Amino acid sequence: MAPGFNIQPYGIQSMLKEGHKHLSGLDEAVLKNIDACKQLSTITRTSLGPNGMNKMVINHLDKLFVTNDAATIVNELEVQHPAAKILVLAGKAQQEEIGDGANLTISFAGEILQGAEELIRMGLHPSEIISGYTKAINKTIEILDELVEKGSETMDVRDKEQVISRMRAAVASKQYGQEDTICSLVADACIQVCPKNPANFNVDNVRVAKLLGGGLHNSTVVRGMVLKSDTVGTIKRIEKAKVAVFAGGVDTSATETKGTVLIHTAEQLENYSKTEEAKVEELIKAVAESGAKVVVSGGSVGEMALHFCERYKLMVLKISSKFELRRFCRTTGAVAMLKLGQPNPDDLGYVDSVSVEEIGGVRVTIVKNEEGGNSVATVVLRGSTDSILDDLERAVDDGVNTYKAMCRDSRTVPGAAATEIELAKRVKEFSFKETGLDQYAIAKFAESFEMIPRTLSENAGLNAMEIISSLYAEHASGNTKVGIDLEEGVCKDVSTMGVWDLHVTKFFALKYAADAACTVLRVDQIIMAKPAGGPRREQPAAGMDDD
Amino acid sequence: MSLRVLNPNAEVLNKSAALHMNINAAKGLQDVLKTNLGPKGTIKMLVGGAGDIKLTKDGNTLLKEMQIQNPTAIMIARTAVAQDDISGDGTTSTVIFIGELMKQSERYIDEGMHPRVLVDGFEIAKKATLQFLEKFKTPVVMGDEPDKEILKMVARTTVRTKLYESLADKLTDIIVNAVLCIRKPEEAIDLFMVEIMHMRHKFDVDTRLVEGLVLDHGSRHPDMKRRAENCYILTCNVSLEYEKSEINAGFFYSNAEQREAMVAAERRSVDERVKKIIELKNKVCSGNDSNFVVINQKGIDPPSLDMLAREGIIALRRAKRRNMERLVLACGGEAVNSVDDLTPECLGWAGLVYEHVLGEEKYTFVENVKNPSSCTILIKGPNDHTIAQIKDAVRDGLRAVKNTIEDESVVLGAGAFEVAARQYLINEVKKTVQGVIQNLMSSNYVLFFNYHLHILMVMLINSKQRAQLGVEAFADALLVVLKTLAENSGLDTQDVIIALTGEHDRGNVVGLSQNTGEPIDPQMEGIFDNYSVKRQIINSGPVIASQLLLVDEVIRAGRNMRKPT
Repeated sequence: MAPGFNIQPYGIQSMLKEGHKHLSGLDEAVLKNIDACKQLSTITRTSLGPNGMNKMVINHLDKLFVTNDAATIVNELEVQHPAAKILVLAGKAQQEEIGDGANLTISFAGEILQGAEELIRMGLHPSEIISGYTKAINKTIEILDELVEKGSETMDVRDKEQVISRMRAAVASKQYGQEDTICSLVADACIQVCPKNPANFNVDNVRVAKLLGGGLHNSTVVRGMVLKSDTVGTIKRIEKAKVAVFAGGVDTSATETKGTVLIHTAEQLENYSKTEEAKVEELIKAVAESGAKVVVSGGSVGEMALHFCERYKLMVLKISSKFELRRFCRTTGAVAMLKLGQPNPDDLGYVDSVSVEEIGGVRVTIVKNEEGGNSVATVVLRGSTDSILDDLERAVDDGVNTYKAMCRDSRTVPGAAATEIELAKRVKEFSFKETGLDQYAIAKFAESFEMIPRTLSENAGLNAMEIISSLYAEHASGNTKVGIDLEEGVCKDVSTMGVWDLHVTKFFALKYAADAACTVLRVDQIIMAKPAGGPRREQPAAGMDDD
Repeated sequence: MSLRVLNPNAEVLNKSAALHMNINAAKGLQDVLKTNLGPKGTIKMLVGGAGDIKLTKDGNTLLKEMQIQNPTAIMIARTAVAQDDISGDGTTSTVIFIGELMKQSERYIDEGMHPRVLVDGFEIAKKATLQFLEKFKTPVVMGDEPDKEILKMVARTTVRTKLYESLADKLTDIIVNAVLCIRKPEEAIDLFMVEIMHMRHKFDVDTRLVEGLVLDHGSRHPDMKRRAENCYILTCNVSLEYEKSEINAGFFYSNAEQREAMVAAERRSVDERVKKIIELKNKVCSGNDSNFVVINQKGIDPPSLDMLAREGIIALRRAKRRNMERLVLACGGEAVNSVDDLTPECLGWAGLVYEHVLGEEKYTFVENVKNPSSCTILIKGPNDHTIAQIKDAVRDGLRAVKNTIEDESVVLGAGAFEVAARQYLINEVKKTVQGVIQNLMSSNYVLFFNYHLHILMVMLINSKQRAQLGVEAFADALLVVLKTLAENSGLDTQDVIIALTGEHDRGNVVGLSQNTGEPIDPQMEGIFDNYSVKRQIINSGPVIASQLLLVDEVIRAGRNMRKPT
């Protein structure tokens, strides 16, 4: 007799399929969940801020990541625990929405969950904690609006100084010490491609080309594109030329229906290749006559077509990625034609120069367009190893995303933990005014903000308690802009250091963190299905609980 | 046992073992779902086989995702799913009501009562309760202009049980407006005309109602406009791409000239069709600054897209079948299946068409339409589980509003109906049952005692007098909703029940306030439930409970596919 039929255990376990796990109640579900989230945030926390440590993550494909970018870390960690996963999702949402501040989201969510655990142990019900945290986050957002630096709501997104001042903090948290070099590269690139209406800024227009070798100081910004391929033909350099782009490939045309060449005699065979040749020549000639000097193909380039291109001194480039081709069109202002034929003069694009260069042993084609239609810029990054390059790229991405965010909302708040301490102070004051049990939750929420200055100073090897108390002292005396100077280990007015964070980044990070934490707290039962089958990995994935 | 003789491999449970298995399963399921009920219910986290997360408070979703195996539990779960199919809400209530009926019966059965008698009592009580529901319900007049306030209250009551309060209140407006938007007088409401679209973006409170349509794909040509105002919209189902002929055809050519000609000929028929569309565009758009949008259900190939793009036409290909229907309702015009007889009358109109790109995904918004009779609820949320949660809630909310419009009545919520029905059963029916007992001694007084409950009496006379215990069990089981509501809010169950029944005996119809535990007037608080939901619960609950109680043997024969351990 099969078990489960005649033996009738009472409760849910009897009703589920084999292999299901069911966790419920405060101890089993809520506290376990909080614990898992805490573990996750302990991992990310040490990477917070400019002095954050790097993590070495090897993912399931054996790819090595050396980074302090929280989004990458949690992404490659493949978190299994469902509650910790909610935090990861919050971090991802932040990364997608703003492109920066994922670490703040996860670490802060972990911190307030830790606060929640203490409250639960004190005897508070999770629903009271949720209501307290909801009140606290609403208050926080109100205060955050008040903390916005005056005059920062208007900015000229084309002014390099202003852009860098807002971007520095974000980039510095990824590449401390090199932020000035990177910021200036990113700012240059972003300003170049910024459209008339800055709100339409497209992150895709700033490209990154990673080339092994050299160092960061060799990095440059190219107005235009850098293609990691050689030209097809022998012409390697051309200047001030018109460009014709063919999406369909440069070759003889073909029908959709299968065609068969009908040949009766040997003569016809000979003639056929001749007509074929003549046809291709006619097409290429037409292209050459339109004034184009460069032919870009989105598909294959036929041998015969190439031959005639050479003869008519046309440079041939092959870009097989559809998106890359589109970007190329944007760079040059060309319109992609589907079929090979004589292009309209309007459809031709223009480049200042196309040249093949060898950088660090790789042949790259640099397409420059200094004047009109400069809608794509490329940051050429140089570095000694792949992981360094990857990490630099992430820093650049963060910078570009910050630029995008500031194009939409340029308001800034003081950085270097000044905002957090101020929030901690004011939310705490707010908690005294509340009468219900949720005041404890609000107070806990306020205390959680201390995590940021604490972590920043801990990561920098400073005495956290000392710093926090002196920060509080400064803020209590009305100096709301005092933050930590990590280099000297003292508290300073951030306006002298020029550390500013974007308001939107903070806003979304805190909101996502609070939402995620409340979601984790709301869950009181977990029903887990048996993990789906599939090939077992050699090493069992370490769950969060094994740490 | 005789079955053993027939099939030595069969498993069998009989008499009380079978009964207790059923009762235990019902109680177990009740235990699982109990914590979900009401606005203060907690959330369950379901982790799928692939590690995907789902958060839910919705009984239906939970039952569906839980992969229940126990046969009795499956039966109950099916009733709940039927409840959802019919009324869209009340799944949790159904399950806990069935569980409670079983629990109440267990007491009597343990005392030696025969299940059949209880079942008879259930039947009587069910009929009486349904009659009582007819009297108790609050009629709502649904004229041409339905009372928006009452619809909002019903929607709010439903949605608040699925989501937290501030989000629920926001969704309420969206849901009511959506249903009113698609409602046509004299026609049944087709909820499919509300498109539910989701975007992983921003926060859950950014969910909004789009009067128009949101399509989850964008134009496929880089040179097409991303944003256009004053648009004529051509909804069509015309293939604008070269299609291979059915027969196996091939071209024969003997020189490149001929081949070129064939390439051109191949395209000609498609080009002709595109040109017809362009012609129409020039007809309606020349001389004004309107734009032209083509939304095609079939494909549009790159050369055609190119031609359209050059004319400044925005073209979308491979729209969903259901969206074609909705587009016509939203923008007007008609869907055309051929380009041969295009007239400006076929065109719809929208004030604004724009594309929104989110990472890899593209969305096309068709907004600012005139007199829409289709609309889109655009759900936003930072992650998939939030979106799924909102989606379930929206679905239930829409159903609740639709039910209200169709029922033309609502029932007071917050446990008010359950308490009222229970008091009615205990006070009124008990009296009559006592009457029956007296009548058995002197049957002359029967009709005299029961003048106001004539129909019920007839049934009662026919039933055995012990059936009153079944009625009592049923009446007590009704209270489970209230008990659970109180329990989930952290209130004292007994206090609440005494307070509420007391008020009802005094003639006040009151419900339970989740925050204070005090009796409140649901009408003042705007807590209303659907009439059809309540009716369905009362109808289906006892039926399934009766069936389960009358089971006296559970047999599993046939080969067990899984290896016995």
